[in-house]
Amino acid sequence: MQALRRRDFLRITAGAAASLLAGALRAPAAWAEKFYREPPWRRKKPYWGFGVDVDKCIGCARCVDACKTENDVPREPFYFRTWVERYVIRKDGEVQIEAPNGGLDGYPRVEDAATVAKSFFVPKLCNLCENSPCVQVCPVGATFKTEDGVVLIDKKYCIGCRYCIQACPYGTRYFHPVLQVADKCSVCYHRLKRGLVTACVEVCPTGARMVGDLSDPESNVTKFRENNRVQALKANMGTEPKLVYKGLDKEVR
Amino acid sequence: MKDIEHLVRVAVIFLTAIAFFLVARAMIKPPDYGKLGRYRAGALDDIKALPVKYAGQASCAGCHKAQAKEKAGSSHRGMACESCHGALAAHAAAPKGPKPSKPSEAEMRRFCLRCHEASVSRPAKFPTVDDSKHNPDVACSMCHKPHAPKL
Repeated sequence: MQALRRRDFLRITAGAAASLLAGALRAPAAWAEKFYREPPWRRKKPYWGFGVDVDKCIGCARCVDACKTENDVPREPFYFRTWVERYVIRKDGEVQIEAPNGGLDGYPRVEDAATVAKSFFVPKLCNLCENSPCVQVCPVGATFKTEDGVVLIDKKYCIGCRYCIQACPYGTRYFHPVLQVADKCSVCYHRLKRGLVTACVEVCPTGARMVGDLSDPESNVTKFRENNRVQALKANMGTEPKLVYKGLDKEVR
Repeated sequence: MKDIEHLVRVAVIFLTAIAFFLVARAMIKPPDYGKLGRYRAGALDDIKALPVKYAGQASCAGCHKAQAKEKAGSSHRGMACESCHGALAAHAAAPKGPKPSKPSEAEMRRFCLRCHEASVSRPAKFPTVDDSKHNPDVACSMCHKPHAPKL
């Protein structure tokens, strides 16, 4: 066998290194293309999404009341699957955010209305994250994302460690004082599966809330996302919420 | 043989532990775990089986045609019946059973003003009144019909 010449050795090594490098560069790009660029609702039907029109919300908290009734959420304050925050932004830049009892008992009167630059209500609920921090941290597989994009809790499996409650960047989970498990907005999964809309959407008097199928190009949420400039909360966290807001302010987090 | 006796002991301990793990896993793991993902597939059925408490607008309009028609032409057209009358799936299932509630004249003012009280936070186009100036202490229904409130 002829000894390998130095020139050939270098050529082969350089070639191999170049092809390896090219492959290494291409692989994550293809992976990213597959898992991040293409919205999952292109592949799965149905795929649930939610929309909130902040410009239409009147802060009546019918949604909070309906949610508590429909899902047996404890009536005491601080247990909410959804709640409505009031933002009051003064001309000097001071921001007040209030949600006394989730908005159920109304809001205190705004003092010095002349100094208010703007004020509005923001309903909060599960953000339906594509990359859910709460699912990632659950140590027992009790919280999960369904094939149609909803994050749910298996109450028989939950051990009540509260890790998910800390992980949720939107504070939408609470610890159920009676069942001793974590609880959260299920987008009324039991209603969606029966062809009904969620309880909060059902009772919303102004149509500020909507739930629908993102995989359907003609659905209400698809149209809402197409026809308006919408925004998700804490987009910088990479959670990719399927809950989007229209008319959000930079002060809303 | 004497040389590998200590290895056999360790192997026996390991194999016993693995066997114990496999038996325990088979006993503890629900059969449908992992069917759809890293969770118990049966949890979905548990959640789907939860009872519905709000019947939905279509269900109300199926029987209460006159009220639905009156409301359809009014400024309250976008509202569901259960927005004011409460959760009524039980009533829809058994119409002779639980009856819909409606706010009494005494509490009506507070009820209507939950939406219609003037506030800087409400959208500018939304119809609101100032509680202290708009016929104080008179029930809203003296002038406005709840199903078709415009005068």
